[in-house]
Amino acid sequence: MNLVEMINVNRQYGSGRTLVEALHPTNFSLNSGEFIGIYGPSGSGKTTFLTILGLLQSPTQGKIFVNGRDMTKMTSREKTDLRFNKFGFVLQASNLIPFLTVKEQFKVVDKFTTSRRRKMNQNELLNLLDLQDVAHNYPSSLSGGERQRAAIARALYNNPDIILADEPTASLDSSRAEQVVQFLANIAHESQKGVIMITHDTRLLAATDHVYEMRDGFLRQQN
Amino acid sequence: MFLAIKEILHNKTRYLLVVFTVFLISYMVFFLTSLAVGLARENRTAVDQWDAKTVVVSSYANKSMVVSTIPQKQYQQYTDDKNVAEVGQMTVVSQLKNSSEKINTNVFGVDWKSYISPKLTAGRLPKTNHEVVVDDALKNDSIKLNSQIKINGSDKYYKVVGITKNNSFFAVPVIFSNMDTFRELKYGSSQIKNISALVIRNNKKINKSGLTQITIKDLVNHIPGYTAQVLVFSFMIIAMVIITFLIIGIFMYIITIQKISLYGVMRAQGIRTARIIESLFYQILVLTATGAGLALVFMGVTQFFLPKTVPFYSDWLAYGVLTLAIIVMALLGGSLSMRRVLKIDPLSAIEGE
Repeated sequence: MNLVEMINVNRQYGSGRTLVEALHPTNFSLNSGEFIGIYGPSGSGKTTFLTILGLLQSPTQGKIFVNGRDMTKMTSREKTDLRFNKFGFVLQASNLIPFLTVKEQFKVVDKFTTSRRRKMNQNELLNLLDLQDVAHNYPSSLSGGERQRAAIARALYNNPDIILADEPTASLDSSRAEQVVQFLANIAHESQKGVIMITHDTRLLAATDHVYEMRDGFLRQQN
Repeated sequence: MFLAIKEILHNKTRYLLVVFTVFLISYMVFFLTSLAVGLARENRTAVDQWDAKTVVVSSYANKSMVVSTIPQKQYQQYTDDKNVAEVGQMTVVSQLKNSSEKINTNVFGVDWKSYISPKLTAGRLPKTNHEVVVDDALKNDSIKLNSQIKINGSDKYYKVVGITKNNSFFAVPVIFSNMDTFRELKYGSSQIKNISALVIRNNKKINKSGLTQITIKDLVNHIPGYTAQVLVFSFMIIAMVIITFLIIGIFMYIITIQKISLYGVMRAQGIRTARIIESLFYQILVLTATGAGLALVFMGVTQFFLPKTVPFYSDWLAYGVLTLAIIVMALLGGSLSMRRVLKIDPLSAIEGE
């Protein structure tokens, strides 16, 4: 099933002589059960691509369809709700709320949810990511790796269709990084979700189904 | 609510400072109010006790009962009316027998049978010219039932036979005497049948040359210094309430700016801006209500530690209104931050701006 489709989407910043084409016209689609890896040097437009895909910013031109709905025609509130219900973000800078414990991060989702879809089991998620011992800790008392895993748990909790991970393994050692990537792959394959992972570590791309390279605003499929 | 409370509990010091600030401002507002009300009451409670509508004073007196004198021929035609009472007012110095302390007081000359005769809390009404009723505030100067007092250096003593309360005028307590005693004190003889004013409790209109009819409100406002006092206090209190708006506004603005990246994360996760703003205002409500509430509790305690001579009156209705005003001002202060919250870009969470 097609989850997201981008048609001729580009993103420009500035105008005239200062015009920067951060993302050249791009066609891209993500299907359920698919795990896509994107790599490229920093400043190549990976994050721009991911934020447009995640409805965090609008493209300059082109159309984006989420579950067949044209997002360029949505109000910002509809986009916000869609983000809440369909997307899970694992951000480079941790996406945890500092004054909530790991478990309470889930509670925010419970409180603010606008959809009735079933959520993931909290304890299962904590076990899976080896977080049960720190479930009642605040983010400030977690190690970098624990924080990253907690962020992943938070992203997965509202059972999103699409998981967007920006350098999810940045602060992890290599064995833990492999575990997290394997975990993302399992989520994609077993729960039929679409997962996109941005990384600079090409070794981690082995677990993905498709690999894209981003360079100077051009997205090219590698396999 | 959940986010608001969780955040307050997690950053206790920061928010305790806000509560403490609100507490200090509210406490000051309440304290000033109590003094203002206390002082205002000392100027007027004796007048309020009449429960009358209008007062007639001499035209030259410029609405001030203190300087008004009405000769008998100008008022005698009204004395049969039960709704019209004569009153004589004089500012005097009293002295307790065997004491050298001089005490500022008023003498109110009244007819014991008229409706402005003082309500007694102890003792009885006087039967002779040498008996008086005094306000119980004079107990601070050791004047109580059966005390003997001199008034304006009289060679005679007056015996206190009755006690009344809440009878204060021109910021000093009132001694009630009969008209004869008042006239002797003020005019030197009970044969000079002057009075200070006529007090009218119904809608009767008196229109006579040399006399001016004024409302009770007018009378109180023309007690020397009264209006100035009330204005000064009112401006101070209003200024403090407006300062609340600025202080809370600035405080919350700084806290909001510190949280911009956090708000970015929340927005990126798909939490609506309305939720964030709701949380901001809920926090302000909780913090100011706590601060003002604490101040109210402290007010309740404070009055037990103040000397009796401080004109302090706990006006809980005024506290309530001011608490509301402070909360409303603080919430308005929150709107300073609202613009920032509305402009938060979820992208900032990702780009780490």
